[in-house]
Amino acid sequence: MLEYTLRRILIALPAIFGVIVVVFAMVRLAPGDPAVLLAGEFADQATIERIRERFGLDRSMPEQFAAFVSNLAQGDLGRSTRTNRLVTEDLAQFFPNTLELAFGAIIVALVIGIPAGVLSAVKRNTWVDALVTFIALLGVSMPVFWFGLLAILFFSVDLGWFPVAGRGTFSHVVLPAITLGVSSTAIIARMTRSSMLEVLDQDYVRTARAKGVLGRTTIIKHALRNALVPVVTIGGLEFGRLMAGAVLTETVFTWPGVGRLLVDSILARDYPVVQGAVLLIAVSFIVVNLLVDLIYGLIDPRIRYD
Amino acid sequence: MKRLARLLASLVVLAAMTAWAAAQTVVIAQGTDAVTLDPHDVTDSPTATVVSHMYETLFELQPNGDIVPHLATGYEVSADGTVWTIDLRDDVMFHNGVPMTAEIVKGSFDRFLDPDNAFTFRFLLDRITDVAVTGEHQIQFTLSTPFAPLLAHLTHNTTAVVLPSYVAEQGEAFGEEAIGTGPFEFGSWDRGTRIDLETNDFYWGDVPQIDGVAFLAVPENTTRMALVESGEAHVAVRVPPQDIARLNAADGITVENVSSLRTIYMYFNHTLEPFTDVRVRQAFNHAVNNEEIAEFVLGGAVRPSDAAIAPGIFGYTPVGGYEYDPERARELLAEAGFPDGLETTLYSPTGRYLQDIQITEAIQSQLAEVGIDATIETLEWSAYLDLTRQPAGENEVPVALLGWGTVTGDADYGLYALFHTSQHVPDGSNRAFYSNPEVDALLDEARVNTNPDEREALYAEALEIINADAPWLFLHSETQLVAVNDAVNGLVIHPTERVLAWNVTVD
Repeated sequence: MLEYTLRRILIALPAIFGVIVVVFAMVRLAPGDPAVLLAGEFADQATIERIRERFGLDRSMPEQFAAFVSNLAQGDLGRSTRTNRLVTEDLAQFFPNTLELAFGAIIVALVIGIPAGVLSAVKRNTWVDALVTFIALLGVSMPVFWFGLLAILFFSVDLGWFPVAGRGTFSHVVLPAITLGVSSTAIIARMTRSSMLEVLDQDYVRTARAKGVLGRTTIIKHALRNALVPVVTIGGLEFGRLMAGAVLTETVFTWPGVGRLLVDSILARDYPVVQGAVLLIAVSFIVVNLLVDLIYGLIDPRIRYD
Repeated sequence: MKRLARLLASLVVLAAMTAWAAAQTVVIAQGTDAVTLDPHDVTDSPTATVVSHMYETLFELQPNGDIVPHLATGYEVSADGTVWTIDLRDDVMFHNGVPMTAEIVKGSFDRFLDPDNAFTFRFLLDRITDVAVTGEHQIQFTLSTPFAPLLAHLTHNTTAVVLPSYVAEQGEAFGEEAIGTGPFEFGSWDRGTRIDLETNDFYWGDVPQIDGVAFLAVPENTTRMALVESGEAHVAVRVPPQDIARLNAADGITVENVSSLRTIYMYFNHTLEPFTDVRVRQAFNHAVNNEEIAEFVLGGAVRPSDAAIAPGIFGYTPVGGYEYDPERARELLAEAGFPDGLETTLYSPTGRYLQDIQITEAIQSQLAEVGIDATIETLEWSAYLDLTRQPAGENEVPVALLGWGTVTGDADYGLYALFHTSQHVPDGSNRAFYSNPEVDALLDEARVNTNPDEREALYAEALEIINADAPWLFLHSETQLVAVNDAVNGLVIHPTERVLAWNVTVD
């Protein structure tokens, strides 16, 4: 297993290097100039030139890339051209917030999605199944923005149960986690349902039933456990997606996460922060995928890593 | 005895009430987080708002347009206009207890002016060639040329006095915390969410009546308004025009409507046909009904322009603008050789200014009525700035919407960079490539003439000529819409687009 993990990490390195190259090139190929932006509507050419020099933007692309890679090797992602803060400090501050929200959302998604899917499968083709399917469909198709704003207006402004926005206490995380988790919940519920249906049709489940092992035990111990592998795959992908930052949810709830940091930085052509954030997202996506693969082994002992 | 008891009881109640009142933190919800707390490096209004509570300038531009001494007590200008002697207050202390001296003030200006620091607003003071200490509380600026707007420029929030020893101590991290002289001290900064400031009990002026100020960064309009509606914030800036009626109807909330020094306009590119012809430019101005746009697109929350700069700016004179007259517009187009109308492209940002793209769409439909077939091109802001500042010959943007905030409150800032021939992009901000030697001469003269009455007359003449030349499609000056909880008194919504809680009390 250790060897497998190491091999996976080695395989990931070229992918990460690819991400670095692509991001580095893309931010610079996009129209717009960070120096012009920083200088604003007011600037004269001399000011813009000075700003360009200050951030090394006057150097050639290969020179800038070489500097970026050699600094990166020393764990230095540079300073934001917008705030002059160390990019590593910014990420260290925003990433835990993103993790907090992503965990909240994935917990919502698993706690609601898996039971709903199981229920839907067991009560196949009844009104319960139809209702769960309908709600799931609604969950996937509802715009996050709209759902979040409605949640604020109803639960925060009208009822006063939760704070409107911001971060800090447990009650701050409730509405954003639900808002962000809604679409994942729906996806996980649908996945669990179809996976369960497949398993429930298997011979061993029928045998268990025939033996008289009935009801909840069959469903949870025999069926659900075997139905979990695809659910874990989807759950892992969803979690990876959530960690990449949830710009809309973060914007609606004023949640200081990586998604908003990234979008703000792209709009400001803040190259160092964009590079750092994308790199972090890529690495965390790779890590999550690796973890998912390792979890398979825990769920299904037939899966081996040698 | 009974009376004494009653007196004691009322004292207890009073003390409790004061304690409660003193525990007030005024919460202001803005659209974005501060970018930095380095006052010299500020380029946007939300950041300027935060920094203005901690750092102070030598002079202050009051909301009514008056300039009064602030950290200074007075000034004197030499006969030739090139030496400015400024007396400083002797009772000012930084938040760490260091008293403000002329040496410190000099250090602060030297930092602002150092070309290596590349501060965006350095140009405000770039005529200063030397800063000298001439007394314990007196400094002297030597200028390369006489420069009348200097006093106005010394009110700009980026020229605030910093403590050089603190700057040196903090190094690159200087903008992350703050030690200034202002009525509030830095408390904490939760990036992307909230900045907390505490009252400076040793402030040289009137110590604020509140416990502190907090600034929330809330990009989404509906969320920002919901914060005021739920009582979590006292103040929310940038109220969307469609929400004014609803918020005013809500209990205990009033939407304040304060004019801003920002003018919104579309400029015509004078290097491109057909905008080289003044009749075409005038035709556009007659074809567009900016009063209708103000009323229906902006909910009456702006002021249609009658000059290239807004009222409240020194040098402003109403020169009329253009009457809505589609018939006249068609005549002018015919005279210019376009009896069947013409085609053009209107460039517009989206979301940069209040209802910007909606304004452009309204203009498009009004132009269509006189036979001008305009297509709209929108670009993300960074690309937009870049494209519109290409040099003549490469610049292919014919008409574009922009805004200009004359944050110094002086016409020089609002006219020179936009209309002087030396300021054609990319050197300056004259994106229209407008050039009129008469206007150049007037603006040059108003720069060096230190007599306010004469300056005013010079600007009035320049505004007249600019109006007649119609280098812009004149639109409106913006209004700041700020939702304020009725319990808050004394909030200043400054024309420079800053919200100031210096003298706020909460009922």
